[in-house]
Amino acid sequence: MAILGQSVQRVDALGKVTGKTLYPGDLNFPNQVYMKVYFARRPHARIVSIDTSAAEQHPGVLAVFTAKDVPVNEYGLGIFDQPVLCGPGSSKPYADRVRFVGDQVALVVAETEEIATHARDLIKVVYEDLPVVDDPLEAMQENATLLHPDRGSNILTKYRIRKGDVEKAFSTADVIVEGEYITPVQEHVFLQPEAGVGLIDEEGRVTVYVAGQWAHKDQEQIAHALGLPLEQVRVIYPAIGGAFGGREDMSVQIILALAAWRLHQRGIDRPVKIVWSREESIIGHHKRHPYRIRTRWGATKEGKIVAAEVELIADSGAYAYTSPKVLGNATLMCTGPYEIPNVKVDSYAVYTNNIPNGAFRGFGGPQAAFAAEMQVNKLAEKLGMDPVELRMRNILREGSVLSVGTPIPKGVSIEKVLAECALKAGWQKTEMGWKAPDIQSIDPKYPHLRRGIGIACAFKNVGFSFGAPEQCWATVELIGKAEIETVRVYHAGADCGQGAHTVFAQIAAETLGVPMEKIELIVSDTATTLNSGSASASRMTFMAGNAIKGAAELALENWNNEERPAKGTYQYRPPKTTPYDPETGKSEPNFAYGYVAEAAEVLVDTETGQIEVNRFVCADDVGKAVNPQQVIGQIEGAVVQALGYTLMENFIQKDAVPLTTTLSTYLIPTILDIPEKVESIVVEQPDPIGPYGARGMGEMPYMAVAPAVCTAVKMATGVWIDEFPLTPERILDALGELEEEGEA
Amino acid sequence: MQNPHPGLPEIEYIKPASLEEASKFLAAHAGEARPFLGGTDTFVRLRDGAWKDKYLVDVKGLDGTAQVSFDPEKGLTIGAGVAMNRVEAMPEVREHYPLLAEAIRTVASYQLRNRATIVGNICNASPAGDTIGACMLYGGVLKVFGADGVREEPLDTFFKGPGKTNLKPGDIALSLTLPLPPRGHVGRYIKVARNKLGDLAIVGVSVLAYPDATLASGYRFLIALASVAPVPLRVPAAEKVLAEKTIDEATIAEAAQIAMDSCSPIDDVRGSAQYRKLMVRNMTRRALTEVWQKLTQAA
Ligand SMILES: Cc1cc2nc3c(=O)[nH]c(=O)nc-3n(C[C@H](O)[C@H](O)[C@H](O)COP(=O)(O)OP(=O)(O)OC[C@H]3O[C@@H](n4cnc5c(N)ncnc54)[C@H](O)[C@@H]3O)c2cc1C
Repeated sequence: MAILGQSVQRVDALGKVTGKTLYPGDLNFPNQVYMKVYFARRPHARIVSIDTSAAEQHPGVLAVFTAKDVPVNEYGLGIFDQPVLCGPGSSKPYADRVRFVGDQVALVVAETEEIATHARDLIKVVYEDLPVVDDPLEAMQENATLLHPDRGSNILTKYRIRKGDVEKAFSTADVIVEGEYITPVQEHVFLQPEAGVGLIDEEGRVTVYVAGQWAHKDQEQIAHALGLPLEQVRVIYPAIGGAFGGREDMSVQIILALAAWRLHQRGIDRPVKIVWSREESIIGHHKRHPYRIRTRWGATKEGKIVAAEVELIADSGAYAYTSPKVLGNATLMCTGPYEIPNVKVDSYAVYTNNIPNGAFRGFGGPQAAFAAEMQVNKLAEKLGMDPVELRMRNILREGSVLSVGTPIPKGVSIEKVLAECALKAGWQKTEMGWKAPDIQSIDPKYPHLRRGIGIACAFKNVGFSFGAPEQCWATVELIGKAEIETVRVYHAGADCGQGAHTVFAQIAAETLGVPMEKIELIVSDTATTLNSGSASASRMTFMAGNAIKGAAELALENWNNEERPAKGTYQYRPPKTTPYDPETGKSEPNFAYGYVAEAAEVLVDTETGQIEVNRFVCADDVGKAVNPQQVIGQIEGAVVQALGYTLMENFIQKDAVPLTTTLSTYLIPTILDIPEKVESIVVEQPDPIGPYGARGMGEMPYMAVAPAVCTAVKMATGVWIDEFPLTPERILDALGELEEEGEA
Repeated sequence: MQNPHPGLPEIEYIKPASLEEASKFLAAHAGEARPFLGGTDTFVRLRDGAWKDKYLVDVKGLDGTAQVSFDPEKGLTIGAGVAMNRVEAMPEVREHYPLLAEAIRTVASYQLRNRATIVGNICNASPAGDTIGACMLYGGVLKVFGADGVREEPLDTFFKGPGKTNLKPGDIALSLTLPLPPRGHVGRYIKVARNKLGDLAIVGVSVLAYPDATLASGYRFLIALASVAPVPLRVPAAEKVLAEKTIDEATIAEAAQIAMDSCSPIDDVRGSAQYRKLMVRNMTRRALTEVWQKLTQAA
């Protein structure tokens, strides 16, 4: 039992550090051709005509594809509201419209990338511009221009929660805090821009090599758009250069398949390769949803939170992507990890012409947690109570009933997590309750520098929520005679760089009692593995762990029954979840959770508005750290990514046109911009149904960073800032410095 | 074939054997050829399509461009092709031109500074150029080879607008000379940027000062600003106040206010004009104060 809980070397380490590992853009096949996409580059228009003749006649061009070449011109994760290619002659209504700058209009396939690029620029598209809708509040108005006329409204999804009687509860509250919070768009900036190869494999299958997060879902969407049976489509993931949710939706998957398939039909069997530039990547894939959250919380002077009322509006951008699911999460998490007897929530996801927003680490949770945790910290201030103490008086415990009227699944550890974080950050537990560390906000030697500390906590689901079908397959094969010599683990799960495949091998080795060296992984190919669900929702270790453990146990049983090779195939199904009741929101939203608490110490330069995070503490209950080094890597990575979100990353769209489409205009933190050390506290309170007690943990450390930092900034400067990123300008503006100078 | 440099147009690389040859070629191909050194501005601009040159003329290694030398009488002469890191690492530079060394260390990253040159930074004439202010305050003079032979271009009158200088087609900057600075001088460069590594200056403030008994205040202060005007900006009005009045907190504040009022920044994705103006005031005040403290400590 020495493998689980050990920081064993990652299975992909050697290949990656020696440069041998191939990412999609590194793959080259004999005789391959190259593809370029014509992006709309305008936010809202009807395409009147497309003239591809000059491009087609250009020497070296094999084909130009447009909407009329797409058999079933629609796709989407759940809602099929996006054309594969926009333009006239489509098989679906309203597919002649472009709805955001990154809508794809035509594909050029040529002998070289240069020719494809040149020919792409010869395509002439005549547009009839339509009014641009870039503000969700405007989009919700009755008379707003409709993004999808067939849907009758720009409101894509709405949910409501009604628990108790908030109005009555507010009348009993001693203090009430109201706030309006605005959270920004964030770009994923995964290292590897979208790339891939489409070809027809030896068995005639349309095959796509690409980096994604759920191979079988990609396969399903490709098959749908091409009008092909599932078995005729194959998706293979080579190494994946980061994802963070940004590869959950289609980018180059369908177009690679389409090009390879259409060429094949014309008698041309040549692999088609595409590599997006960073700029194409930034306009071509979705972002994190910006939210506008208006909320009101009430508490008694004893520190009992009695009511929370929340309205959330999410900008979905031009298409649905995962908006309904992200909104579902935010709707649950906007009242924080607290048991509040009276809750009223109304939430909306709204179409606009902005770049679509979708999955991104935390999946709606961080936006909701920002509002909830700021509210709690403001309540604490108003009550004159320590913010940890106030939390402890309301925090979710075993058996607590959620806002959706059902008890939270067993294994609730937020109290312990919060206590560990608070103690490490300098809080003390006294007889009078929790007490914050003494931090002098003004240093008399440098009066322009101000210090502050802030704390926040959060919970986040593990696995798919609200009745979404949830399952994960694994197959384990034991090879040998007297002894197990080789173990083959067949699994579709995506290793986006988070180390999932190493965890798969560790769980198999642990369950079978064999060393890591005996494990052979056959992974991420729809032709050889069964549906695993996505690498998202912090679910992969939990779901794949349970599936592999189950398959290994079955295989071992067969081995003991003398089967050679001995095989076990197992589908793990977690306890069922249920969707929101449309009126009350009543539901069993999730089967498992992870818990996190975070504290930040900041130094604010009130002359420049710049903020330094000097110290960061994160306590995260991971249930069981299958590989502690990977766990700490996830904590540090999530914290840094969330600090970028909170302080620096400023994605600017003007009239639905992005102005920050390069990494010199959209900045993410560099090595010099992050705290020297993130103090990670790995809490291990087992999840009752997790594999070996493991919980999901990839998203949790992201969750509470923004409110912890913003609260620290409040302590330092005396001002609550309810909108981020906390750019220097925003800080100085909040301090009243900019207005004063604006007069000059 | 996959383009190994996506987006980079086809360019002809010219490696001339002599300055005359290089200059003639550049003059004959005005508008479609440009000289380059490290190429760190050039390749980015070509890839972005902002520049459309057909020829790149590599002037590194031509006569007088590859050396850097220090002479206790004449000062420092930096060949056009000498990378920033080489300059910054010279003990003479750290000793006699600390403001230049400090400014160099704020340019992009160490890796980039292995290629980027100071003369390239100057010839590129971006108002955001981090080393330009220091070179101006040290009294830098460019040596330029052109159709009429070699001439000198003092930096104070060299810049005409963003990307615009006194250079004409066929001109090749050979080296930059910085005379020996006054004894006991103190400098400070403060760069305000969105991150700590790689971003261009939202505002850059260079200050250089030294004791000067001929002035009423007893000190000569020089100020240059980056990223707040179409050209790297000197602020003579502020320098005058600091020459004439007793140096104290109020004088420094007054000079900082003049600096702010004399600039005309623009809004862009990195920062608003309003923020830039405020930063000019606050950072000029900060730089002047720090320099003043050091000067008085030394005295
Ligand atoms: C990632 C990145 C980050 C950067 N960060 C910074 C930063 O923080 N601060 C900053 O100031 N700059 C920055 N830059 C810009 C650039 O690196 C500097 O301006 C650098 O000093 C340019 O030097 P070079 O030798 O590479 O110039 P080149 O690109 O070779 O030339 C620049 C310009 O000067 C002209 N030129 C070159 N040589 C001559 C000559 N001998 N005679 C006449 N004209 C000539 C060229 O035609 C061109 O117009 C950055 C660039 C990049 C790519």
